[in-house]
Amino acid sequence: MGGGVCRPHPTMRAFERFPWLFILPSLVGFLAFNAGPILLSLWISFTHWDVFQPLTLDTLLKSWAGLDNYRQMLEDPVLKKAFFNTLYYVVVAVPLEIVLALALALGLNRRFFGVKIVRTLYLLPTVTSVVAVGLLWRWVLNPYVGPVNLFLRWLGGKLEALFGALHLPVPATVHWLATQGPGWLEDPAWAMLGIIIASVWAGLGFRMLIFLAGLQNIDPTYYEAAELDGANNWQKFVHVTLPLLSPTTFLNTILALIGGFQVFGLIYVMTGGGPLDATNVLLFYLYQKAFGEFPPDMGYASAIAWLLFLILFGLTLLQWQLRKRWVLEEA
Amino acid sequence: MKQKTTLWDVLVITLLVLGGLTMLVPFLWMISTSLKEPGSLFDLPIQLWPKKLHWENYREVLRVVPFGRWYLNSLIVATGLTFLNLTSGAMAGYAFARFSWRGKNPMFLLSLITLMIPAHVLIIPLFVIMSRLGWIDTYYALILPGLFDAFAIFLMRQHFLQMPKELEEAALIDGATPWQIYWKVALPLAAPALATLGTFTFLGGWNSFLWPLVATNSIEMRPLTVGLAVFNTNFSTEWTLLMAGLSLATIPPILVFLLAQRWFIRGLTLGSLKG
Repeated sequence: MGGGVCRPHPTMRAFERFPWLFILPSLVGFLAFNAGPILLSLWISFTHWDVFQPLTLDTLLKSWAGLDNYRQMLEDPVLKKAFFNTLYYVVVAVPLEIVLALALALGLNRRFFGVKIVRTLYLLPTVTSVVAVGLLWRWVLNPYVGPVNLFLRWLGGKLEALFGALHLPVPATVHWLATQGPGWLEDPAWAMLGIIIASVWAGLGFRMLIFLAGLQNIDPTYYEAAELDGANNWQKFVHVTLPLLSPTTFLNTILALIGGFQVFGLIYVMTGGGPLDATNVLLFYLYQKAFGEFPPDMGYASAIAWLLFLILFGLTLLQWQLRKRWVLEEA
Repeated sequence: MKQKTTLWDVLVITLLVLGGLTMLVPFLWMISTSLKEPGSLFDLPIQLWPKKLHWENYREVLRVVPFGRWYLNSLIVATGLTFLNLTSGAMAGYAFARFSWRGKNPMFLLSLITLMIPAHVLIIPLFVIMSRLGWIDTYYALILPGLFDAFAIFLMRQHFLQMPKELEEAALIDGATPWQIYWKVALPLAAPALATLGTFTFLGGWNSFLWPLVATNSIEMRPLTVGLAVFNTNFSTEWTLLMAGLSLATIPPILVFLLAQRWFIRGLTLGSLKG
């Protein structure tokens, strides 16, 4: 997008009398549902305010607790667990999604019969709501009758037969695969991986779309020049595509990271944070504290919200810094 | 890039098609399960596709849960949000693009800052405010927070800035008021931006989960996403019913997507700017 210059024309003076009429709806929304709540949230995070008390200045002042809630976070083992679970989710899911989406986009950035249909196949999960995705995958990952484990057991059986035919001892992993397979959402060791599989399945098409848009913006003359210099496919990918795609890759990664830290719907539907808090993440823990337990602890939950905000804010700052260094200047 | 099809291309395309079909497996499994006889799911050997199609599951799920109402709620909420968002966003965007007024730059900066505050920070205070207003479990709580959306304002501002001013100036010389100019000249020219933003907002409203989960508590007021999630906790053993319900919830949006793919893709790509 090229930037337009906003310079009021002399005859446009008449406009200057009316701006507040145009601004009013947004201003009301901003004060009532945005700025107001943000300040209230910040305030509540410094109190032990009880949600069943009336919301008055008096109750808010009386329940002032200073840094109590923030101090409590340092000593809360569940919060620590939720933090590292979130980190685990982000560190595995984001690179997986980005690499797969890039590979898909590279593959689909060519013309062949039916390419649009194939693209659509990858996009279908994108239009499915998170809740539907979660419910679907809870059933698909069922350890006994889900198609994932049916396939793994079939694969294990074939491998077992192969080892048998070669007169080799069957490794324990293969036997386990053939007879049992991962417990997925029922097993603390596998549950987060199950969530990650569902989230990558759901998010892949969207990330691919962004990469495709980026790829189609690359000027084909760069490739022609590289070919004249005798570059092969791999060299073209490393020396032309990757550098020129870096703004897109960067945007995609940052967005995936920011989204990843706020994962909630899949967790709520698929595991409810379990088993044994193995999939409890920051936003889910916040929800539990504020709405899932009795009595609700709004102060502590608000403090968690601001912790999450700080993480995301840090990511945004990092983005500004790294963008200058990593990203090839956008044309 | 125009090249001859190589062996490499054939290999890549085969892999892409196989991968794409694998993406479909969960959907097919959903439909297959929804047509199986209740209680037969754990019988061995597991059937990939039921021999006898058990359509009664669909009738049953419509009987036990208010599916139509949930659909209606989602439609009302997503439409209401889109309408509010476009109306207030376009108006404010126009004011930021075309008017000069005191406080314009500070206010623009303020809205920029709100883009950095993630929605989850708002959940608790919004819940508190909405409870005080007695709006929990009403459409007000679900729709009104869409009155201000910094992203919509930026997008519309950007669009108006890029539009040539001549037509608006001509209307001004003809004696039109700013409101008439906005309504009759500028807004119709912004139709493509409105359509894209609208698609994106509608999708966001349709799929939103955390806020409606917090802001509703009666079965009748749940939008589809929340209804399904809660239905899941109540009927977790009845997978045939759940999958029938899920088919009803996912297949119509997919059909709409297939029909209006171009708009969806534009809206989705646009969404990437917001994140």
